[in-house]
Amino acid sequence: MPDTLPDPDLIAALPRLRRYARVLTGDVNRADDLVQDTLARAWEKRRLWQAGSDLRAWLFTIMHNVHVNQYAVRRRELAETSIDADDGVAHGWDLPVRATQSDRVELIEVLAHISKLPTDQREVLVLAAIEELRYEDIARVQGVPIGTVMSRLNRAREKLRRMTSDLPSTLRIIK
Amino acid sequence: MSSALPLSDDDLNAYADNQLSPERARAVAAILDQEPALAARVGEIRRTNALLRDAFDPWLGEALPRRLIVAAEAPRDGRRRGVTRMWPALAVAATLFIGVATGWLLRGEMLQFEGTPITFPRQAALTHALYATDPNRPVEIWANEEDRLVRWLSKRLSFPLRAPNLNGVGYALVGGRLVAGNEKPGALFMYENADKQRISLLVRKDAENSRETAFRYAQEDGVGVFYWIDESCGYALSGNIDKQQLLSIARVVYGQLAASTPPATQR
Repeated sequence: MPDTLPDPDLIAALPRLRRYARVLTGDVNRADDLVQDTLARAWEKRRLWQAGSDLRAWLFTIMHNVHVNQYAVRRRELAETSIDADDGVAHGWDLPVRATQSDRVELIEVLAHISKLPTDQREVLVLAAIEELRYEDIARVQGVPIGTVMSRLNRAREKLRRMTSDLPSTLRIIK
Repeated sequence: MSSALPLSDDDLNAYADNQLSPERARAVAAILDQEPALAARVGEIRRTNALLRDAFDPWLGEALPRRLIVAAEAPRDGRRRGVTRMWPALAVAATLFIGVATGWLLRGEMLQFEGTPITFPRQAALTHALYATDPNRPVEIWANEEDRLVRWLSKRLSFPLRAPNLNGVGYALVGGRLVAGNEKPGALFMYENADKQRISLLVRKDAENSRETAFRYAQEDGVGVFYWIDESCGYALSGNIDKQQLLSIARVVYGQLAASTPPATQR
């Protein structure tokens, strides 16, 4: 049984871990803190990783759990200092869009749209659409039944669809 | 919307995300041919997926902060997690992997840098692609001289080798050959099934004294590779076959080679 993780694979997974952390936190700096905490946790828990299974999905699972725990703490702190305690929508979503992309209005739009999704739905959408994780792996990441994943995915896509069609037609760019 | 849609939302999502079994996907595709409204929704989901990837993929190419590379490294010798002599190698590895992650075609680039190590699974895939397709000389020594083959390779690699027996999973040994590696030579065992489909096992003495034992899958230029590193050497099983099939064969190989270590029981 492995008592270690393949660290070249961990390093290979880093860009995707960072990206997913940004999606979760909506903040570049907090994202890197989350990645670091996730890696520390992964090394602590390395005996639980099943050799041959998708390392990336396992790391996303750890990241999800670390984030949920930290988020709960943050939320309590927020609740003590502010009255507009949280509604499940990401706050402080502040992700840069690179200059090279700025000519593509739709990219900025899509970032804005998915920032408005509830966290659970955004997570499922990103894991399915961008990371192309199997639905059963996404269910494991979130610790929910696969049916929940399917309905979150469907709701996320429905909302995106509605947000897109709400736009004035001049803003819609069809290529 | 009609209440008697022939496909559920789940079907449409799973189809658009390529998550259906081939049979189910064919059935859904046939229905979509008859249902332009549903086909348009699938098209829209796929367009949005592509747009999301366009929006998020550039992040993959960003330079990695050093603290994260250090955190990804195995916490060797106690608490010390600062800069080690592994750092330059890791930096190179990180650069290579970012390249792979962003989908650059790295092969030509890598070959320009003398001494840049090629990753083990990539080496395995390239070696497999080179020899498995060779009709006349896929191996240097054929299976009818298996004892001689194993003795010779063991001598060249300076450690006792074994050619796993894969007859139980339908693959017969074709033979083997010596192949070039980054630092040391490796041994290649080639197998073939009744359909003339070939898989190959690359074995090398591990240079970095790595402790890795985990199974890992990679796809390089369309060749699937399961690789793992046992205490003293690396193994890579390569083939153009279904991933699950390759995994089950890799488990057989692993089981035969690691017969002396405790079997995997964790779940």
